[in-house]
Amino acid sequence: MINKKLIKDLLNESACSHNKEKKSSCDKPKPGATSGGCAFEGAQIALFPYADAVHLVHGPDTCLGASWETRATLTSWEGENNTPLGYCTNVTTQDIIFGGDKKLNDALNYIWEHKNPKAIFVYETCVTAMIGDNIDYICKEAQERFSIPVVAVHSPGFVGGKNLGSRLAGEAVLDALVGTREPESIHPYGINLIGDYNVTGDMWQYKPILERIGIKVVATLSGDGRIDQIQQAHSAKLNVIVCAKSLITLCRKMQERYNIPYVSVSFYGKRDTSNAIRSIVNAFGDKTLIQKAESIITEEEALLEKRLEPYRHLLAGKKAILNTGGNKSWSIASALQDIGIEVVATSIRKATEEDIAIAKTYVPILMKVPANEQAKLIDEHHVDILLAGGRSLYTALKKRIAFVDVNQEKKVSYGAYGGLENLAIDVCAALSNPVFKIAGTQAPWEIMEANG
Amino acid sequence: MKPLHVNPLKLSQPMGATLAFLGIKNCMPLMHGAQGCASFTKVLFTRHFNDPIAIQTTAVNDITAVIDGGEYSISEAITNITQKVTPDLVGLFTTGLTETKGDDIKGASLLLKDKQKIVYVHTPDFEGGLESGWSLSVQNIITQLIKPSSQCIKMKVLLIPNVNLSPIEVEKLKENLELFGFDVYAVPDLSDSLDGHLGIKQGSLSSGGISVETIEKLGDAGLIMTVGRSVEKCGTLFLAKNHQSTHLHFDSLSGLKAVDTFYSKILTYTGIKTPHASILRWRKRLQDVLLDTHFILGKSNILIADEPDSVYALTTVLMEAGAKINAIIAQRSEIQEAFTCQVQIGDFEDIEALLPNYDAIISNYHAQRLAHKFHKALLIRGFPNYEQVGIGLRHNILYEGSCNLLCEITNLLTHYFEVNH
Repeated sequence: MINKKLIKDLLNESACSHNKEKKSSCDKPKPGATSGGCAFEGAQIALFPYADAVHLVHGPDTCLGASWETRATLTSWEGENNTPLGYCTNVTTQDIIFGGDKKLNDALNYIWEHKNPKAIFVYETCVTAMIGDNIDYICKEAQERFSIPVVAVHSPGFVGGKNLGSRLAGEAVLDALVGTREPESIHPYGINLIGDYNVTGDMWQYKPILERIGIKVVATLSGDGRIDQIQQAHSAKLNVIVCAKSLITLCRKMQERYNIPYVSVSFYGKRDTSNAIRSIVNAFGDKTLIQKAESIITEEEALLEKRLEPYRHLLAGKKAILNTGGNKSWSIASALQDIGIEVVATSIRKATEEDIAIAKTYVPILMKVPANEQAKLIDEHHVDILLAGGRSLYTALKKRIAFVDVNQEKKVSYGAYGGLENLAIDVCAALSNPVFKIAGTQAPWEIMEANG
Repeated sequence: MKPLHVNPLKLSQPMGATLAFLGIKNCMPLMHGAQGCASFTKVLFTRHFNDPIAIQTTAVNDITAVIDGGEYSISEAITNITQKVTPDLVGLFTTGLTETKGDDIKGASLLLKDKQKIVYVHTPDFEGGLESGWSLSVQNIITQLIKPSSQCIKMKVLLIPNVNLSPIEVEKLKENLELFGFDVYAVPDLSDSLDGHLGIKQGSLSSGGISVETIEKLGDAGLIMTVGRSVEKCGTLFLAKNHQSTHLHFDSLSGLKAVDTFYSKILTYTGIKTPHASILRWRKRLQDVLLDTHFILGKSNILIADEPDSVYALTTVLMEAGAKINAIIAQRSEIQEAFTCQVQIGDFEDIEALLPNYDAIISNYHAQRLAHKFHKALLIRGFPNYEQVGIGLRHNILYEGSCNLLCEITNLLTHYFEVNH
């Protein structure tokens, strides 16, 4: 069943700074003026990276039909990778009338017989929440039958947006998995990585560096994650929230239950990556660890400088405008600055109050209505490149400047030190491509008409 | 029967409805459901077409889901939409959530009729699929928008494509009909909106398509032409608006026989004796291509998995050159009875089990992983196609498009046989 009290508590999270004033980002969606995914999608995003678990969506086909195999969350799991696969009970009219309990139960049996997963997550959706299927009971029974965790995720789309869904998924993991398995040994510098889903392998850019310093990743929620590891997450000494506000409640509760403190970091850009590493080792406070970290940071930064060398001359003195949402409004800005680009302005239209506060420290101009402001700013500041969503392409063409679509599903990682080179390659490719000057040119007849 | 879908092939009715309304000029598709239904749909079509997609949601939440019969969230949505843009039409359609609630969208639309022109459609996603969602929308556009007429203009044709026809295919069809002297109006007309043209793409409303005003005046069309079994019923509904009109229906416009039937019916209708020279030329090219490709296709086993009308059309052309085909369709359809090869409803788990016995697969983006796994030739068709560009420019109908398809698949198969034998 949907837990109303839990949802209310999650929306009033005391660890969110904006809740001291108003709850702008957590309000109910406005009919006719809403974009972005639902709570179900948010739950999916947070848990799908567990590739050793099957993710069964209990609902009709829309919820999953269009979204399976679309997420570039990579895994090193050697068994069948369930992350890109789509399991759906495909609820039909019959089930709406007679209830979907039996179908769900049959589906769980089918998965158990054919797939042998380490766990099964069952996602409630709007329709199955409305018809009142007893998902908790069916999951509990299946868990006893199969002797693996069968976790009900109560995050139907209509309870809110993606952010809330990720929170609800975190709660499901906290209650059903964390602390259900004891580790063989406890590492003194064990951490959990929370909120990085290893999209395009972002996590793999910095995890080996942390390990070289002597830090052990006990569990992740949920990039390249494993069920048996998250079951042992209570044995970690520190929770590291990576670029995500949505799982802050989970971390606060783990602090209360298991006495695990948390730090919030970003691994985008050189400065932020180095600062992230420092935040982690400082939390442990061990001198040798801190020294080791500093020497590896120096080493990595020098290596990065060498790798960026070939691009420096093309990037030097170039000016950019960034028009994207959420934490990208500052994290990408920071990364751009690190490769030598001046970021003139960034959009805060879809950013939370925390994000706006951070963005202010990186970029001089914050655009509230980028659609109206960016064209003018491009002229005033002689901007060379616009990094935005597809809708802004026309602006770039009209102004004849380079364009990078930052909202497209990216294919390569821009994370940590290694990812900065990928960013430099993409930005250089756009800056040196003649297409932006050619594609938007006037037709001969338009020119002739203009000249009379 | 399996109690679940593993890697579904099926797409939902609201998605078909979205696409239908995007073929109408200055239209706002408004999905009546939770915000995610519209968001998933928007992401799918944005990535598929590589263009901004206009859509809004009534954003039903856990409270309005229980206490509102639809009027509140729908009227709120219309108020909020019209504050920013002025749509000529709002295409209002339901989802599983709002159909489970049993919302009265007709009543809600009537209450708002002075404020905003609305076409409403029931498209629960626990019934039907992409094709039926598109077709139901077109049916309701016909019944709710077109004004009845006592006049009948013989050479004015209302063309109803099925959801699988690409924007360029709709355009080619229009151009071919114009060669006979027809005035052609496609409903919906994606050839003008999702064909990938460069324009001022803000994407807040549909960027092209047929205008509402033109649709309202279609009652005097002398001919209604439906392409694909999923939209055949649209013809019957139109005849109720104008009894003198003629309905021509075609299940497929691919392959020599199907296209011959198409032109022979047009010749009979218009009384013209010979089509335009370019059509004659393309027919001869297709005859030649059929012969050129039959060596390879004649020894090929192909698995086709897509929406029923699309699979049927692909089958009619490929079987003419001797290909052996097994068809998997996304959902039940009347077209099933017309297949002359094996056909079944299935998902990608079923496809994965069958694929090792075939040389090639024709299906959507999800077939890519399987084709790699089993080292099979792959032709991507259908929704979604995230990997390739130029989706809107693909032309596989009439004599010309049939040539394109036959050559493309044969080249892929030739390479496949070279590598594997």
